[in-house]
Amino acid sequence: MRLGFVLKLAFLFLHRSRKATFVLSFMVLTAVAALVFLSALAVGTNDAMIGNSTGLFTGQIVGSNLHPGDLPLPAIAGVERVVVRRDLPVLLGKNGRVEPLTLIGVDAAAEKATTSLARKTLSGRYPDPGEASIFLGHATAERLGVAVDDHVLISDRDEAPLASLQVAGIYRTGLTHLDQGMAFCPIESLPGQQTNLSIAVFLAKGTAEDVVVGILRRILPSASFLAWPEFMPDLQQLIELDHICMGIVIFLVFVIVSVGISCAFHIFILKNLRDHGIMKAMGVSPADTALLLVSQILILTVLAALVGTVAGVVLAEFFATVGIDISSFTSHNQYFAVSGLLYPRLTFLATITPPATAIFFGLIAAVWPTAYVLHKGPAEILRGM
Amino acid sequence: MMIELQGVSKTFSSGRGHVAALSDISFTMARGQRGVLFGRSGSGKTTLLNCIGTLETPDSGAIVIDGCDICRLSHRQRCHFRSKSVGFLFQAANLLPWLSVAENLMFPLEQNGIKGLEQRRRIDALLAAVGLRGYDKAMPAELSGGEAQRIAFARAIAHRPAILLADEPTANLDSANSRVMIDEIHALCREQRTTVLIATHDHELVSTSDVVICLKDGRLEEKR
Repeated sequence: MRLGFVLKLAFLFLHRSRKATFVLSFMVLTAVAALVFLSALAVGTNDAMIGNSTGLFTGQIVGSNLHPGDLPLPAIAGVERVVVRRDLPVLLGKNGRVEPLTLIGVDAAAEKATTSLARKTLSGRYPDPGEASIFLGHATAERLGVAVDDHVLISDRDEAPLASLQVAGIYRTGLTHLDQGMAFCPIESLPGQQTNLSIAVFLAKGTAEDVVVGILRRILPSASFLAWPEFMPDLQQLIELDHICMGIVIFLVFVIVSVGISCAFHIFILKNLRDHGIMKAMGVSPADTALLLVSQILILTVLAALVGTVAGVVLAEFFATVGIDISSFTSHNQYFAVSGLLYPRLTFLATITPPATAIFFGLIAAVWPTAYVLHKGPAEILRGM
Repeated sequence: MMIELQGVSKTFSSGRGHVAALSDISFTMARGQRGVLFGRSGSGKTTLLNCIGTLETPDSGAIVIDGCDICRLSHRQRCHFRSKSVGFLFQAANLLPWLSVAENLMFPLEQNGIKGLEQRRRIDALLAAVGLRGYDKAMPAELSGGEAQRIAFARAIAHRPAILLADEPTANLDSANSRVMIDEIHALCREQRTTVLIATHDHELVSTSDVVICLKDGRLEEKR
């Protein structure tokens, strides 16, 4: 038979078996839509964790061992902002107590506009540019017994006094290394001469950090650049784990759906077995029978997968606009230190994997009923009618 | 086509053991002859038709059609033989319920590569021949038993097969419709020189048939 006629038969069969076609399509459609949305949500969750973790202070790329002549950096595609910092290992003293930490001199205006640290202020405020003030983590403040407006003494590691800074504000991030080991002051107030120059690079959404790191390493070979997966391996592992879990979910959902499709199709075919007996009696070859059945399943799964993908995309885009607030579940989670809002994001892979998997498993589901029909002889079928 | 059966036997295995459906059946029908196959239920009529139509393979013997032993054909060749040379008419109309009347008639034509205008022309002629002009778009479920059986007949002859095998085609019809159906079958046999073999209980057909075969318990009881 001509392929066109087989496809026409397959389409007519599905079209005129409306109820069964609808039930089967709905099963595939909902599975695909749910998985497209879940995949987008998983990407959005990863984005949120990365955004929260890097947006607080570090940026997606950290550059160190820089020289003043290295800056400003040339324009690089995907780089949204670069903030320059100087740091100095110091001792912070008050009331006879001493706390070793890294004092970081920042461009207060640029930091406020770029990072989210100022939003974690517990009391007081973020320092203004040029003022002789300091922004302390709550753990350090507690240990020193200082409050906003108190003065703290800055000494070098040899306890030689360098400066006195007034506490402008106290912050709390929930991240130990930020709350205990660091303090911030406007770069103009940073005492000492032997300071280290570093930068934090913030990238536009969707920019591959490894590409930008590669460019930076080429431009400034003497400096050191690390992307977030290198300085936050815990987050990197968590995201890889997320990918694995999503893969398992997609696989399991479609194993279940394909068993469902296979059983439903088997029942569907058993119900119409007589028709296959008649067609076989009319000389339809096993190849044409297989082609007809596979076409039916393919047309059904492809159309259902397409509609399911569109439904999943619409759902994901809607929530990407309004966001999903999960802050009540993330208040103690270091990876959601800034915001508990998730914005599902569709990637090519997240959009294409569920429908492709549905079609693949749909074809696998076709094997059993097709083999069953092919195995049965026309006389055997017609005798059983 | 000339049909020649030489010692055809067929046994089925069932819960009751081996059942001989056909035992050493031999007869010959010349091209264009009309044959009837008598016998009680279970006498082997359907099995014999199935063997001639290559739906089943005899355990022994040969079925020679135009000099070719169809029992020796490959699976693919049998499909080709059925689609090209055989028309089946069953007790029930057995129309494909998800295809309209015209699409049911289109099926054997497509299988034989008859497309386009010629296909349309044949479908119109077939519908006119069985008195159902204008039924193209009707679905099988909308037809009466008699109408459905006439469409089934039209489908069986659409591709102008050389052999028409009819298994009690009038069993579900009233006497008036039965008469019309048999007349139509005989008219076809005359026009296209189709070899027709009808399995039936209707003894009225004896007078209008060239070959009469009686089966009893799978054996040839009588042949005229």
